[in-house]
Amino acid sequence: MIKLENIRYSYNSGESNEKTVLKDVNLDVEKGDFITIVGSNGAGKSTLLKLITGEIYPENGNYMLEGKKVNNSGMHKLSRKIGRVFQNPNGGVFNDLCIRENLIISSKKGMRSFRFGKYNDFGLELLGELNLGLENRLDIMAGELSGGQKQGLAMVMAVSSSPSLLLLDEHTASLDPVSAARVMELTKKINEKYGITIMMITHNTEFAANYGNRLLKITDGTLFELKDRKKMFVS
Amino acid sequence: MFPILEQGLIMGIMALGVFISFRVLNMPDLTVDGTFALGGAVTVSAMTIGLPVYISLAAACFISCLAGMATALIHRKLRINVLLAGILVMTMIYSVNLRIMDGPNLPVPKDQVINQMTSFEEESGEDPLADLFAEAGIADVKSADIPAVERRSAGNIFNGAQDGKDLVIICAFCAALVVLLFIFLKTEMGIALRGFGSNPDAIQAFGITKTSMTVFGLGIANTLVGLGGGLFSLYGGFADVSMGQGMIVTGLAIVMVGELFLGKRKFLFGLIAPLIGGIAYQCILAVAMRYGHVIGFKSSDMKLLTALFIISVISLSLLSSGKKRGKFKSNLKSMLKAGGR
Repeated sequence: MIKLENIRYSYNSGESNEKTVLKDVNLDVEKGDFITIVGSNGAGKSTLLKLITGEIYPENGNYMLEGKKVNNSGMHKLSRKIGRVFQNPNGGVFNDLCIRENLIISSKKGMRSFRFGKYNDFGLELLGELNLGLENRLDIMAGELSGGQKQGLAMVMAVSSSPSLLLLDEHTASLDPVSAARVMELTKKINEKYGITIMMITHNTEFAANYGNRLLKITDGTLFELKDRKKMFVS
Repeated sequence: MFPILEQGLIMGIMALGVFISFRVLNMPDLTVDGTFALGGAVTVSAMTIGLPVYISLAAACFISCLAGMATALIHRKLRINVLLAGILVMTMIYSVNLRIMDGPNLPVPKDQVINQMTSFEEESGEDPLADLFAEAGIADVKSADIPAVERRSAGNIFNGAQDGKDLVIICAFCAALVVLLFIFLKTEMGIALRGFGSNPDAIQAFGITKTSMTVFGLGIANTLVGLGGGLFSLYGGFADVSMGQGMIVTGLAIVMVGELFLGKRKFLFGLIAPLIGGIAYQCILAVAMRYGHVIGFKSSDMKLLTALFIISVISLSLLSSGKKRGKFKSNLKSMLKAGGR
């Protein structure tokens, strides 16, 4: 589904303060995978996700999405196939709109028409699966929700247009343990029940040990797969 | 009372544009100072060359929309700060207005001549020598069959009679605009525009470009400002190149006054707030002009008063949002920080 071949990326490329963050990264993601990525701060995890979403372009190498080379495709083009959730709960929702309008925006990708918007049933179904009762409070403003509720809504919005891939950038980092566990359960369900491929960055060792079918680690811009995940977390 | 209501509502239409850029898009667009005068200049010039008044107003809206889009494109494509982009376009519009009006100002034509006048005979439709012939007793001289010059009213929608008819027309404009904007902001595109103003980075994740939203949003905002300028010129009877000076501050003051009355939460109230604010602002203006001399106020102090008024409204809203003094201080600090960014 996603193939990265010899990907290289540097910040401030060509300048005196150039910093190479990704060095010859290779990755093959199959449809339905739930990949967990770990690594220390500054290792290049978020840069890798930015590159996959099209926010930044690779200097070298090939980035293939569903068999097509998309090295220099813009973010808005790739966003038709990729959903993402940020660390900050406010990053993925529209605080000045009500939940209904948030769902309307997320129900499809691309430019909008001048017709009255409708949210899709899938979005409402996902919202119900959060078990937060939000599906019955569609007219309250997203800005009035708690951090956990906002992150749940952001997850639903990222998935409701049925993307092929969902990118999660430390999406439970700013949540309390109960909200984080609830959001992680939804994450698992999205992968298992709806078959959406997931790439998740996390610093939480418990989540890294228990969620996902593949575990990757980035160290100094190099990506490698950890085959024996139990051994790693015990050590 | 009629002039206050009429002028207030016209300024309210302009402030609706400011509301779209400031509140919906969250963008301080200074193009407004230019497009207000541009709307007036295009309307009056179009009427001067014989176009009907509604076509003239439509032309003013269209040209003002293009100006707003130009600001958006300069901001997005050349990565110039939106404030600077607005100032650049506003500066350009000043020269454009002088060209459109062929001078610094232009009166709204009173009437239009349909066939060109060439002589007294054509103007009056009479033979100038008919009286002479009559005095000489030559009564059977046939006067030439000269067509009289046809004139028609230039079609200014306002009569300036303060009889309430102008107010009805302005109210009709306001009602139509509020209904249209309300419907538009509920459509997919309108919701996306509001979403862009709320969280511009997140909107990209749904396949919508920031550029398209900025161009579309500033286009609509300046269309409304241009329409306000056109109506203002028709109401005042002239267009002037400097009539838009300080309009952004006035528009912002009007939006804030309206929000004092109706609050910020529901966006339907947001659409009505500039109109209510426009009337309230004109009332304040009228009181200041009439009784201001008591405290040494001159009409030239109006801009100073308007800016001070905005500062007081912001301070009041900070005070009301944080009742405790400590909260007010922290609110003020965060606001100053945001201003510094």
